[in-house]
Amino acid sequence: MTAVADKPNNARNTSGSVMNPTTVERVAGRSDEMLLNLGPQHPATHGVLRVLMGVDGERVTKAIPHIGYLHRNHEKLEEVRTYPMCIPYTDRMDYVSGMQNELPLCLAVEEMLGIEVPERAKYVRTILFELSRIASHMVWIGTYMLDLGAITPFLYAFRDREMILDIIEETAGARLLPNYFTYGGVRRDHHPRMMQDILEFLTWFERKLPEYEALTIDAPVFQARTVGVGVLDPQLALNHGVTGPNLRGSGIGWDLRRDDPYDAYPHLDFEVCVEYGCDAYSRSRARFREFRESIKIIRQAVNQCPKGGAYLPKLPRLKPVAGMERYRAVEISRGHLGVHIVADGSEKPWRVKHRSPSFCTLQALADMAVGSKFSDAIAILGSIDIVLGEIDR
Amino acid sequence: MSIYENKEARLPLERVSVPTDKHYRMRMKHHGLLNANPRKSGLLAAIIGYALLFGAAHGVLILAFQVIPALLTNGLPFPWTGFGLEKNSFWFNVIYGLLAPVLAFLFIAVVALINILMLRKYLAKVQNRYGPLHNGPSGSLQTVYDALKLVSKEDYTPKMVEETIFTLAPVLVFVSAFLLMAVIPFAPGWVFANVEAGAIFIIAAGTLGGYGVLLAGWSMNNKYGLMGGLRAAAQLVSYEVPLSISLLSVCVYAGSMNLSKIVEAQQSLWFAIPLFIPFVIYLIAGLAELKMTPFDLPEAESELVAGFNTEYGGMRFGFFFVAEFAELYLLPALMAVFFLGGWNAPSIPAPTGTFLNTWSGGAPTLELVLKANPMAGDLNADYIVNQEDLTAFSAAEVDGKKLPKWRLDITRDGSVDSKDSEFISREIATNPKPTLWQLLFGPGSLILNSIYALIFLVKGAAGVYFYMWIRATLPRFRDDQLMELCWKGLIPLSLVGLLLAAVSRLIPAVGITISILVGGTFIVMIARGAFFPTSSKQVKA
Repeated sequence: MTAVADKPNNARNTSGSVMNPTTVERVAGRSDEMLLNLGPQHPATHGVLRVLMGVDGERVTKAIPHIGYLHRNHEKLEEVRTYPMCIPYTDRMDYVSGMQNELPLCLAVEEMLGIEVPERAKYVRTILFELSRIASHMVWIGTYMLDLGAITPFLYAFRDREMILDIIEETAGARLLPNYFTYGGVRRDHHPRMMQDILEFLTWFERKLPEYEALTIDAPVFQARTVGVGVLDPQLALNHGVTGPNLRGSGIGWDLRRDDPYDAYPHLDFEVCVEYGCDAYSRSRARFREFRESIKIIRQAVNQCPKGGAYLPKLPRLKPVAGMERYRAVEISRGHLGVHIVADGSEKPWRVKHRSPSFCTLQALADMAVGSKFSDAIAILGSIDIVLGEIDR
Repeated sequence: MSIYENKEARLPLERVSVPTDKHYRMRMKHHGLLNANPRKSGLLAAIIGYALLFGAAHGVLILAFQVIPALLTNGLPFPWTGFGLEKNSFWFNVIYGLLAPVLAFLFIAVVALINILMLRKYLAKVQNRYGPLHNGPSGSLQTVYDALKLVSKEDYTPKMVEETIFTLAPVLVFVSAFLLMAVIPFAPGWVFANVEAGAIFIIAAGTLGGYGVLLAGWSMNNKYGLMGGLRAAAQLVSYEVPLSISLLSVCVYAGSMNLSKIVEAQQSLWFAIPLFIPFVIYLIAGLAELKMTPFDLPEAESELVAGFNTEYGGMRFGFFFVAEFAELYLLPALMAVFFLGGWNAPSIPAPTGTFLNTWSGGAPTLELVLKANPMAGDLNADYIVNQEDLTAFSAAEVDGKKLPKWRLDITRDGSVDSKDSEFISREIATNPKPTLWQLLFGPGSLILNSIYALIFLVKGAAGVYFYMWIRATLPRFRDDQLMELCWKGLIPLSLVGLLLAAVSRLIPAVGITISILVGGTFIVMIARGAFFPTSSKQVKA
């Protein structure tokens, strides 16, 4: 890592401004290093990320992420709204798996107020939570293969993701921002055909998984592009706070579904998918194995799902005691999504802080990308599966 | 009916195996987009597209190789007899030489436009979507509309560019693709320029495109463009080497560099079998020359936005686009010429040896420079002698016999001697005035040549679809893997292929066996991921 990458806000350049992308920096007597402004409008940045990339020919010499292009001030907006009004804002953080974002807020408030969630609601939440994970990983397959130059898997992945979105739409009324989980369960009972639809989808999807694997992790060109690329040292990953499949791809089996279980996870049997290669390929494999684990979890949950209500007909007043605070985190598709709420006794939270996984993961980009080829930098950026809505919040 | 009430909307459990079409049709209807069935629409588009492709392309070819030459000479079967020029006389060459590029452009434009449409449909089919659908029946006019849009856009030059080179670059790229047309033989005698050193001409013309791309990338003063241009230069120059060596192997084996003669030499056996290694190399290197997935690094969308054509718009971009798709057809077409027997097909009778100068299909060919061919004597010795005899004929009268008008095309200069007259007498005796059947279906006739051209076009189209299949499937290589594949894989192998081509010429059984074994091993190695280093060296400064 260069000294410049260590101090991203202090990038030396002759014209003075970091923001000027046309500046050619002269580092250590070399005049052929070029600053490349990757984004915020670039096909590979998955939204509005901007990465200032120093390239020496095809070799990346620095990679400085500039974030904030999608900042919408969610935390502050939630602080001036009542507790139920906070939930739709969380959807908009990780918009690829919107439903998962609602859970930590619900759990935190439920624990603050001591609300008992009906068993059935726990299972329904778990099923939809895992379904969202499949949908999210499917978007990852598509966009990652686009980054690597293959178009077709993108369309296949979106074709199958569409089925999940349909199921979510039928049940919650919206496809991406469902606003479905709520304090004390889910907002309304699910669509009567939901469970059957889900099982049908799983049958279809299990049949399609080998096809995805043949197009991606089993393909020689994919392996050539990812094995040994973007090595993320386990210690470095922990230092940066990397979580989720990215951490598990670096050989550390840390999964909140097992290690800090919530909802129905304590009753379900599943495996934490750890891969030890620490590279882009391991991260990809970890995600692919999570597909099968998610299928397993959903099958069990659908079978075990008890009868009864999926929501509380009568909630207590949502006014936690002044000074009460709570941190609750769940394992969403990208890792460890936490929320820290401080109450002041009114019906609005005094402070809400979201801890988002992609924000931490992005910090490791420079460590992985510097020294690699420019094409690899794109492959690395795709492999960590970031969502800008959640980084900028 | 809302999606909740629509019972059809949900998939019944027993039909889980085939839900996609139905599912999507349902969604499309739900959004009020369309009522079409993708399968039917794809079929209709395919029928329309192929009819257009082969019909229009044939029309241009017939115009170029039958109608116009017949107009210039007196070959039309009408009372009005044309301009009465002798074939390959000075004025014939001048007039036909001026018309030929226009006709070649027409052919390229037709083929490129229809190819774009067909490939979009094909990619859509692979990717489970519809493709163009709204303009014309099954979207068959989509590319025409696209072309009109590109033409009608402002001819814009960004401020920071090096304007001369910026303007010149797309022209270079286009001309490079376009020049290849000159030497491709579509059917016996149907070739614009019968250049003896045709293979060399192809290599030279193809190399020109690399300059265009490099200059485009450099002149636009854009960093993505610069990187794309440099990548393109490195890639095209590298892959030019194995491509050229594989073509030279064919020349060694066929004993000629003239493309017509190379095709003729494949009447009994296509060169793809004895020259399996050069064939495989051409297949891969050709893909790299086309800058298509998995070799699309110069315009890698996810890395370099649009690479070397980032700053181009309107028809300037259109030139790149048309050149790309023209090449996409012409490289597989050349593959058909060099390896897949050109116009030859197993069940179609091969044309006889002296077809070039038989009574009706006289070649309108421009006998251009580069005639020297030291190798020509070997393979087609009889043929060459015959042709030389024929070219020595005089025009109108031999032994007091007046040549009929339809035989005029066998003469080229004014002198005649006893040997010639003897030959002509024999010719006239053995080849009397053709019957209607011979006129229509005999060697060199329009219909037979059309069939040959159709076979050739189909072979080219098959090559295009093979490339598109790869494009729809594979991700992109990294630049070092690209170079590794070329310099460590293809070039050594192509030299082996050249050697084996020479061996096959002398001892066919041994050479062909080794060739297929080595080539097959190479394909397996590539499929298993050899030549791709699995990681770039992680150099940390």
